[in-house]
Amino acid sequence: MSTLNTKNLGTISWEPGSEIEFPRGLPGFEERRRFVAVRFTHTDPLIFLQSLEEPALSFITLPVRAVDPGYRLAVAAADLRLLGLPANRQPRVGIEVHCLAVLALRETGTTANLLGPIVINLKNLKAVQAVAQAGGYSHQQVLSVQETAAACS
Amino acid sequence: MLMMSRREGETILIGDAIEIVITHIGRTRVRVGIRAPRETAVIAREVKLVRDENRAAAVAGPTRTALTGLIARLPAAQSPAETLE
Repeated sequence: MSTLNTKNLGTISWEPGSEIEFPRGLPGFEERRRFVAVRFTHTDPLIFLQSLEEPALSFITLPVRAVDPGYRLAVAAADLRLLGLPANRQPRVGIEVHCLAVLALRETGTTANLLGPIVINLKNLKAVQAVAQAGGYSHQQVLSVQETAAACS
Repeated sequence: MLMMSRREGETILIGDAIEIVITHIGRTRVRVGIRAPRETAVIAREVKLVRDENRAAAVAGPTRTALTGLIARLPAAQSPAETLE
């Protein structure tokens, strides 16, 4: 069990086997490769992605399909290869991969980045932020409480 | 916006240092080659949007008040298929 004193989440602990590796980092944070997903009962269903290399860096996320139940994943072949997944088809969300939307808490309201979902291979915990090349998704999708409630009920 | 028509194999120059070559025109996509000085960043617009959004999401940080307000608007239950173990 490892522990880290973080800026936003307090002291967290995790098993070494639960580390998520972003081989390419994230856009804007290319040097940050190791994260853990942290959940708290009192903040469910939010999932926090905490950097293990920068205690002050964390992201708030929600499962993409909690934001948009009809979300269609479009991961590029190069990203699928990076994840260690077959490059000739899209992975099944919830079975082969987790798919998370990064939230931005703004004064004007919370938005979810559906243009660049975080895709995590459940088997090897390799992850990419897969910038969608098609689909017309927004990087600042306003959270719709009705849609979120429907997906989570 | 300046509009130009180009055929496959033809080139556009931006200043003296940047060259854009139309290398392939497909049914729904165009492949372009770009020659630019090393110090000039060349990325897809979508990547810039995601990068800027990541920075905004990280810099803002989850203040307790903002988090409380957000969670109050979300349901407590979550689909088991989406739960990280």
